[in-house]
Amino acid sequence: MKEKKREGVLDILKKVLFVDILKGLSVTLKYNVSRSVTVRYPDEEKWIPYQRFRGAHTLNRDEEGRELCVACELCVKACPTGCITVVPQEDDTGRGIADRVPKIWKVDLVRCLFCGYCEDACPTTAVRLGRDYELACFNRTDAVRDRERLLRPQEVPEGFEGGMVVSARFERTKEGIRVKPDIWKPRDKDWWKKV
Amino acid sequence: MTEAFIEVAIIFVKVVVLGFILFSLPLPLTWLERKIAGHIQVRLGPFRVGPHGVLQPFADMVKMLFKEDVIPEQADRLLFRFAPIVSMVPIFMVFVAIPFGESWTIPYINKEVTLYVADMNVGLLYILAISGVAVYGIILGGWASNSKYALLGGLRSSAQMISYEVALTFACIGVVMLASSLNLIDIVRAQTGGVTNWNVFYLPVGPVWFVIFFIAGLAEINRIPFDLPEDEGTLAAGFHVEYSGIRFAYFMLAEYIAMVSMSVLAVILFFGGWDDPTGLGWLPPIVWFLLKVGFFVYLFMWIRFTLPRYRYDQLMTIGWKILIPLSLLNILVTGWMII
Repeated sequence: MKEKKREGVLDILKKVLFVDILKGLSVTLKYNVSRSVTVRYPDEEKWIPYQRFRGAHTLNRDEEGRELCVACELCVKACPTGCITVVPQEDDTGRGIADRVPKIWKVDLVRCLFCGYCEDACPTTAVRLGRDYELACFNRTDAVRDRERLLRPQEVPEGFEGGMVVSARFERTKEGIRVKPDIWKPRDKDWWKKV
Repeated sequence: MTEAFIEVAIIFVKVVVLGFILFSLPLPLTWLERKIAGHIQVRLGPFRVGPHGVLQPFADMVKMLFKEDVIPEQADRLLFRFAPIVSMVPIFMVFVAIPFGESWTIPYINKEVTLYVADMNVGLLYILAISGVAVYGIILGGWASNSKYALLGGLRSSAQMISYEVALTFACIGVVMLASSLNLIDIVRAQTGGVTNWNVFYLPVGPVWFVIFFIAGLAEINRIPFDLPEDEGTLAAGFHVEYSGIRFAYFMLAEYIAMVSMSVLAVILFFGGWDDPTGLGWLPPIVWFLLKVGFFVYLFMWIRFTLPRYRYDQLMTIGWKILIPLSLLNILVTGWMII
């Protein structure tokens, strides 16, 4: 009984002296002067996904620069949405690792659901889902990526660990706008996890 | 003849300068409010228009000017147009009586000008009366919109005004008793000479005056935690739900200027106006005044992003059951102390 009464008095004292409100104000002041967690995308920073990320497709080459794709069309068979088109061609000039190379290899990213079955099906690890996630375009035909586009070297090399925010530059070119990351300049955006 | 003309010209110039400053003040204040909101929520706030987003208010102003000015079909057209002006004009009128310092000598021509427009002997009464008129703008705006949300916002505002204006005035009475004057300049002069002479440190009643004044002031200028007339959660946007474009901007302008006027009043009445707390005189008095006002403006924004909104019945309870009896008791104690 006595305890209860004392608690009641304490409660009133707390209200009179605005203890809880002052506590709240101190918390917000602390946040006001702390660093912010905002990633300044696309102006200055960009998120580089982890290696397991499944973004837009890429076609790979081996160390000698030959195309790994043998146009076996297994990816076409594996694709649940039918977004990949492969037309094989015979070529023994050493363009590919075999004499059978793709004449056309294109993927319609509007239809693609990024399940990754194509890279699982691929016997030569030619097709991989890369880490490019900026897929916006003005019309649907632009979303179809052909062989030349997919064979270009990736912006983020496959061996790069990822899972971090790095410095980036916003660029306007004739082809459109893009955010070019500088993967060797990571920005510390994890400070709040350690607090 | 020429001297009288010069006096009139000086007053005219002062009014124009003050009006210009007050009209442009909401621009940095909106930016500041959004920045503070951002940083308290560990964001950055506006960042893209200009360095650190400082040009954002100008972009917003242009947007406001080019927006369609919608007047609802069933609205009272005259009152609907009139209401933003009614809420804005009294707030500007308040500043006529506010002193920003004693006087200032213009260099080169050695002419001494006072840093206030009018030296009223009933300055405080004038300010309280005029700032009470500003609530008409909110009530009229809510009523003329012919919308249930707006009307409810207006009703809440009037109830809030009735319950908090009393407490606000009672909180000021203690200060008036101590300075035995309603003149704001006299009130500031009575507090000169160091921190201990400030009214807020007139123990034991000073802090209580200030707390009552501050809480009632928060309610008076419709800031969180007492911004029930414009409660987004229950009333969409309250009294200005039907307003758009530049008329909405008028309401916002009035709100920001009201916040500044309440900060200025708090500084003049309780924090010694332009009195230098260090007593060293290494900053001109007007700078001290502006620093104190700036602190209060920050405090208002800081509280906004700390506390949640009070419920309507809680608002009434705080007003009638706590603030008004407490302020009456406080007047009694003050009178006893003075005698």
